[in-house]
Amino acid sequence: MSPASNLLLLESAAGDVAPTTSQAGRAQAGPPAEARSVISRLPGRDLIGLIPYFAFIAVFLLLPILANVWTSVHDNTGGWTLDSLKKIGTEQYLSAFLNTMALSAVTALLGGALGLLVAWALATLERPRWLKSVMLSFSVVASQLGGIPLAFAFIAAIGSQGMITIAVSDATGWDLTDAFALSSFWGLVVVYLYFQVPLMAILVLPAIMGIRREWSESARSLGAGRLRYLVQIMLPILSPAIGGAILLLFANSFSAFATAYAVSGGGANLIPILIGFFISGNVLSDQSLGAALATGMMVVITLAMLLRHLLVRRTTRWLK
Amino acid sequence: MSRASTGSRSIVQILVLATAGVLFALPLIAAASFGFTLPEQGFTLQPLLEAVADSGFAAQVLQSLILALLTTVASFALLIPTLVWLHLRAPRWLPLAEALSVIPFVVPAVALVNGANLAFRLTVPGFITSVYSLVPFYVILTMPLVYRALDAGMRSFPLRTLYTAATSLGSGPVRTLFSIILPNLRAALVTAALLCFTLVLGEYVLATLLLHSTFPVFLVQIGQDHPRAAAALSVITILCTWLLLSAFSGRGLARRRRAAAHTPATQPSVLPDVRTPV
Repeated sequence: MSPASNLLLLESAAGDVAPTTSQAGRAQAGPPAEARSVISRLPGRDLIGLIPYFAFIAVFLLLPILANVWTSVHDNTGGWTLDSLKKIGTEQYLSAFLNTMALSAVTALLGGALGLLVAWALATLERPRWLKSVMLSFSVVASQLGGIPLAFAFIAAIGSQGMITIAVSDATGWDLTDAFALSSFWGLVVVYLYFQVPLMAILVLPAIMGIRREWSESARSLGAGRLRYLVQIMLPILSPAIGGAILLLFANSFSAFATAYAVSGGGANLIPILIGFFISGNVLSDQSLGAALATGMMVVITLAMLLRHLLVRRTTRWLK
Repeated sequence: MSRASTGSRSIVQILVLATAGVLFALPLIAAASFGFTLPEQGFTLQPLLEAVADSGFAAQVLQSLILALLTTVASFALLIPTLVWLHLRAPRWLPLAEALSVIPFVVPAVALVNGANLAFRLTVPGFITSVYSLVPFYVILTMPLVYRALDAGMRSFPLRTLYTAATSLGSGPVRTLFSIILPNLRAALVTAALLCFTLVLGEYVLATLLLHSTFPVFLVQIGQDHPRAAAALSVITILCTWLLLSAFSGRGLARRRRAAAHTPATQPSVLPDVRTPV
């Protein structure tokens, strides 16, 4: 305790000294004295050093976002219109939106359930330490995989000419791809689960490791069975963490492009892929509609992440 | 009885982890055996070498490495001075700066590239057509992670005290940055650089939609004619990612283990939110 408080003292002492020294440092290259005193009296003078950062964010992040939103409510001649946003509701685009949401929801929920199981096993397994550490590092890495290499690995494994497909067909004469094409909805689910499950595991692992042994002991000593402990104690404590992680998984697969593109050869009926066609000009170029779809995606993901933010705040309060 | 129940539970956990391990290893093993063998020939590098020989393989890999390096340097050049300034001079702006840094999380790469196209294609035509226009957008994509890694690094040592001490001994701001702040940030810098490299080397969406050729774009191209070579290269890429990230997670876990000695609940680290766009 005492080293930390000493450090705090030191820091607050340094805080009193710092402004004078840095002003002295600036005096050599700074503006003349009277101008400097004006500058130092301006309320926003702390902002000077932040200009590059704010400018960078404004140009390369906020400007593209605004360009999307602006273009989505203007037609090609520059007049205001809501046609593009309304077109999201037409059958073609609505089905793509619903398909993307279904894929995201299925992979988030399935990945969430399986990932929770893996996280529980990781948190409670003690004996073979090597298995635990191998799977932990494996989860960290697999949660980062995705994109083109993962897609090709799956094509090589269970694609129409894949090793496993051929091995199964040699052994049993049954063609795996008849029942289960990699480019179909469930094929994409399997590929996405490859990164969703480990991502879920490492997202909820801190919360699960935060569970104290004493809680289960005291619950048991008060007469609660294992099921009751799980439902009445674990579930309320962990549900914000689990919900938040599942929302992140949802946003994660909602915005995924490269994996789906490579697995399906661009044939998947997903919003990111459609926007990709708008950008590369494979569809009749309607900038406004492409921007409306992009805006729709941002809205969905922002909602998911806001909800997650609220949940995660509750988790950290619980575990403190 | 209680010992028996923990013993049986342990078996369930071993089963869960072993099953997960096998299922996750299977596609990689299959891809490796697909990529590095030919029917009736056994292990061979032939398909890989054929595909690599007649195309711009080395040039694309080099291009991706240069982009990764530039992204790392640009992120550091932008964020380190900003964070030092925030912590020393403008701490009340820290929440706003951090909130801005996580916006890229809610902007899918495909929406960012669409917006960039709309904003820059007509107004600054020479910008988007240059392959180096990818760098600022990669800085944006990596920002949530890099910002947090560097911010955590700055909070891990008494920045203000050291800065004041250096200044009182006559060190100018630049010298303080290079000889005091950067050495103290070493761990955070390594983490952030690894994140930048992992993301940029695997980034496909921006590169392909802005019509630039980088390694992942090249991988998709050869995948159309040389599926075995694509599988072999994918396995190599995944193994390299593994090496990069295990350096990172090994350090993260070591830090967490040390932190766990003091606090029973695991400290939130950079790790949980890490997810490179796919």
